[in-house]
Parts: sequence; C-alpha cells; structure tokens
Amino acid sequence: MFNLPIEGEELFALEFGDIVNYFSLYTTTLFLFATAFIIIAIIARPERQTDIVFGTDAVYTKEINQDNLRFQRFMAIACGLATLGAVSSGDLFNFSLFTALIGITNIGIVAGVNNRYVLNAAYNYGIVAMVATTFLFGGASIALGTCGTLSIWELAGKGLVPLAAKMFLVLGVMGEGMAPFYIAKAEITRAPGAPYVLMIHVSSLLIFLRVIEIILTV
Amino acid sequence: MIRHIGKGFRIFSNWMSTYENLVAVYAALGIIVAVCGILMVPMLSYHEDQLYPKTMNRASTLDPYDRGGVPFTRAEIKAQYLDNSPTAGYVTTYLTPLSWFLANTTPYIGTTIVAHPGGIIDEILYNTRGLDTVVETSILFAAFAIASFLFRRKD
Repeated sequence: MFNLPIEGEELFALEFGDIVNYFSLYTTTLFLFATAFIIIAIIARPERQTDIVFGTDAVYTKEINQDNLRFQRFMAIACGLATLGAVSSGDLFNFSLFTALIGITNIGIVAGVNNRYVLNAAYNYGIVAMVATTFLFGGASIALGTCGTLSIWELAGKGLVPLAAKMFLVLGVMGEGMAPFYIAKAEITRAPGAPYVLMIHVSSLLIFLRVIEIILTV
Repeated sequence: MIRHIGKGFRIFSNWMSTYENLVAVYAALGIIVAVCGILMVPMLSYHEDQLYPKTMNRASTLDPYDRGGVPFTRAEIKAQYLDNSPTAGYVTTYLTPLSWFLANTTPYIGTTIVAHPGGIIDEILYNTRGLDTVVETSILFAAFAIASFLFRRKD
C-alpha cells in the first residue's frame, strides 16, 4: 500500500481489531493540521463584534452568551476529533461513520448561534448532510458487496472497488463537506463566536483531501 | 448576443448565490449520480468470498438477528486480521438472562433487537469491529446533545 505515489512512507499503524488505522506521510500531514486547529479551538476566545454607529462617536459591542460559547466550543472540539478519526481511518465503513459524525457536529457548531438566518442556513445544511449519508453508506456497502472486505489495506492498489462505489463516496463527502458554502452565504464567519466556525472549514477541507486519497488508493 | 449570455450568467449566479437553492443543486447532483449508479448495477458482481458471511435461519425465534452458535461458548468469528483479535469469539452473545428467557418462550425477541437503532446497524458488526460501534454511539450522543441544547435554549 505504501509504495503507491499518493501515500508516501508508512509511519505508524494503530490496530483496533479489523480496523487498522494508518499514518502515512500524507495522512499524518492532515492529522497534524487538524490537531493544530483543535488546539486553536481550545485556547481561542470568541470574537466580539464591534459596530460603529454611523455619524456619531458611539460604538457598541455584541455580548456572547456563556452557554452558547461553551456549546460551540464543545462541538468544535468534537468536530476536530471526528476529523482526526476520518483522516487516519483505514477502513471504508469507519471512514463513512466519522464523516457522518463531522456532518452532525457541523450542524451543532452553527446551532449555537442566535441569528435566525444562520439557523435557517444550518437547517438547509442539515437536509443536505442527512441525504449525503445515504450515498456515503451506499458507497461503503457496494464496496463490501463487490470486494468482500472493507479494509483499505486489503483493497489498496488492486482497483477492485467499482466506479459506482467511488462516485457514491465522493458525492457523500461532498454533501457532508458542503457546510462552508452555507457559512459564506449566511455570513456566519462574521457572526458572534467566530473562531469555532473555522473548524467547519478545516474539517470539510480535510475530508475532501482524504476521500481523494481513498479513491486513488482503492 | 454576448450581452444576452452575460444576462443569463447573472441570473444563474444570482440563483446559485441564494443558499436555499443549494439543496436543489445537491439533489440534482444526487439524482445524476444515483441514475449512473443504477445503470452500473449490471457491471457489479457479488463477491462470493465475503469476510463477514451472513446466513438466515427463518425458523429461529431470534429470526432476523440470529447469528448462529450457542450462547456462553466460543463461536467461530471470521476476522480480517486474526493477530489483532486473539480473543475473538469468546464473547459470543450479549443476551441477558431475561432476553434469553424471552427468546426461548416468545418468537419476538429478534425483531425487538432489530427494531433498535443500534441493532440494525449492528447487523454486520462483529467483535472485531468495535471502533465502529464506538463511533456510532458518538454520532447518537452528538445528535442528542444538539437536540437538547436547541430544546433548552431560552429564545
């Protein structure tokens, strides 16, 4: 598996029964990137927006509710941990599960915002993320049916996984990783409690990079 | 002509920039991929040598859930990496005495297990795939946390 061009050297393998997580040069890079952003989410303080009242000297700052802050931080850290699992997983079904967990925690991060339009965007994203799980698990089950196994170690380099399963996996990850579109449109990055929203961008970027690695490997 | 195309692009980009329409875009993509998938079904072939084989015993009282074997003895469990699971098969079943009593007296315990969200997911899981089970419960707990937060918020 580690002679393939995309993987790089094998660094470490972590065994959980049939699910053997692996760290190649590629996945370790993604893993360290996600770890850095988890640390940022833990130590960061939320952004407090300051608006200037036009034409006067008055300035007002938006207060951030302590409960919302705690919930968003928890969900951001959970999302980061799910990303760590997804980038290091060595099993197709396990990867699908971690990706679904990323989708759910993404909804949780934006659910901590009070604005109505932000919650509306979160609702729309929720619909997409839930539909995407069908494709994710459909892809994994087609791979299991046609190959007899789910382990990326066994499937690597053989090209056994059919194109349909790969298409389903990519579309599923597209649905789960669609959150930044909603973020950009609903201007959640400028809403109170900004730094935790970064985790949505990071997780969707990393699962896209990982699914590309998987479909090129299997 | 160019002005016409430019107007069309503006209308399209205006439509795309409304985030309510992204669900429709994803649905269209999903339909295309699903149709491609259905067209590719004849090219898919079932692999006979399955790692996790499944047999159905319709006569069992545990019907959809019966995996065979006798409780509290060692069962043969297939594993991808045998070295990683030296104790595989020693915990053959997690039926409590009450469940075992129900299974022996009524024909409904199997369907009760399958009716659980965990039960139906657990169909393909064996002791060798414990990390999957952990992640599944994490998904459930994250969903509960979000639901309870949204329910309890003041505004």
